[in-house]
Amino acid sequence: MVKQTLDIVLNPLATLGRYSRLLFHAFGAVAELSIYRKNLWEQMVKSGVDSIPIVCMAAGFSGAVSTVQTAYQLVTPLIPRSTIGAIVVPSMILELGAVVTGFILAGRVGARIAAELGTMRVTEQIDALESMGLNSIGYLIVPRVLAGIIMFPVLYVAACFVGIGSGMLIGDLGGFVPAEEFLVGAREFFQPFDPIFGVIKSIVFGFLITSISCFKGYYTQGGAEGVGRSTTQAAVASCVFLLLADLVLAATLL
Amino acid sequence: MKFSNEIKVGLTIIVATVIFILGVRYFEDLPLFDSTYDLVAEFDNAGGLIGGNIVRVNGVVVGSVEDVYISEATGKVMVEFHVDPNIPVTEGTYATITGFDALGVVRMDLVLGPADGPKIPEGGMIAAGTGGDLMSDLTAQAPEMLEDVSSVVDQLNGVLAETNAMLSAPDSDFRQTLTAARGSVEQIEGLLASERDRIASILSNTDSLTADLNASLGEDGEAVAALIAQMEETMATLNEDLERFQETNEQLNELLQKLNNGEGTLGLLINDSSMYHRMDSTLSGLNGLIADFQSNPGRYLKEMKIVDLF
Repeated sequence: MVKQTLDIVLNPLATLGRYSRLLFHAFGAVAELSIYRKNLWEQMVKSGVDSIPIVCMAAGFSGAVSTVQTAYQLVTPLIPRSTIGAIVVPSMILELGAVVTGFILAGRVGARIAAELGTMRVTEQIDALESMGLNSIGYLIVPRVLAGIIMFPVLYVAACFVGIGSGMLIGDLGGFVPAEEFLVGAREFFQPFDPIFGVIKSIVFGFLITSISCFKGYYTQGGAEGVGRSTTQAAVASCVFLLLADLVLAATLL
Repeated sequence: MKFSNEIKVGLTIIVATVIFILGVRYFEDLPLFDSTYDLVAEFDNAGGLIGGNIVRVNGVVVGSVEDVYISEATGKVMVEFHVDPNIPVTEGTYATITGFDALGVVRMDLVLGPADGPKIPEGGMIAAGTGGDLMSDLTAQAPEMLEDVSSVVDQLNGVLAETNAMLSAPDSDFRQTLTAARGSVEQIEGLLASERDRIASILSNTDSLTADLNASLGEDGEAVAALIAQMEETMATLNEDLERFQETNEQLNELLQKLNNGEGTLGLLINDSSMYHRMDSTLSGLNGLIADFQSNPGRYLKEMKIVDLF
């Protein structure tokens, strides 16, 4: 009984410790990046460039929906219509651009990384790499995490651009607010720190999603079922820690 | 054609960076490619102004507020802002904070100095105008206004109390007046009641008189009309005569004026005394001649001998 209670406390701590050790090794292997440069480019294309369409689509819909719903909620004639822009644009830049991108990539990139690494683990390809004298962490994990850190801000920018654009377009076409008024409102309440905060968020999210997925995949155990479990856990844990990080960042930086 | 991974990644990052920088500059109201023109303004009260609020000149958005902070040296509010470099912010320009804090739409208005003055240099200081924010002005004046309102209400209360007292006191002027008025009305009523028959007969007499008049007018209508037409004709003739008379009068006036001025023979006759003098001398000469003729008719009748021939 006592042991079970202790396990509840100790297991997460042990997991955190293993995660930290993996990251520690990964940082130590950054120096070897020049050897595995080709891997980095490949991961940047797979995680970043190839994700642009899905991220743009999700951000476009979320921008359009925020415009329509904000317009629906603003029924008072006392409030100018430009307020729609003043609400949609900052919420896109501060929250939706980064979080929507994060969720999409937790599913698309996190699951892929966990499945790749898990399969390599259960088919003993990672052991083979090690026996060939390659640093498996430097070869497999560092390029993936770095690709996430570099490409997530890029995807964030794309998400904001498309999200704000679609919000403005829907506002204009739907007759909620003309594009000019939308932009006037957005510019009147624009804070220069907002996009910087968004970029910081996206860097943190990119790091969290890729590193958690790498951790789950790298330590996969037990055949095909284990790979499936790792993939699920990678996606779920990425989303949970993304939300947690979102709150922590908002509380500390804003 | 297949692009290498490096090219794809590089292109994506460059495009994203450009969009990011241009987007931030756009939303900050910075010109997309030009440099900016930064200025500082000092206020006693920021009135809710924050970074990102717009800066206007004559109601046109020309820039935005960058930062608002309290100066450690003076304790005043310093507002850093930037405007379009083409705006002539000359010496004498002052800034006011306007808008309504409660609605979150606070902005800074610049009132430009004379256009031919020297331009304030980059980073220069702009004086605060005496605008103030509407809400704080109202708040500042609220106690005075409340006092005014309460004194007015007090006075009103006094007036009402006096009126009440006047109405309720049995021997007040008001009461007496009302009683007198009531008495008059009662008397008039009594008069009306007692003289009802006479009034009725007067009214009926007036009625019949009017009816008679109407009838007679109806019978002799044509005659009356003819009479009126004749009178009109006469009046028209009279009018004509008067006009002619007026013309004559004018001509006479003219004539008299000419006479007075000494124009023409008659005028001269009246005004010029030389003729009188000449006539006088002539007459006196004639007198002499006649006297001579009477005394010595032979001298004149010498040549009349021819008469003798007959």
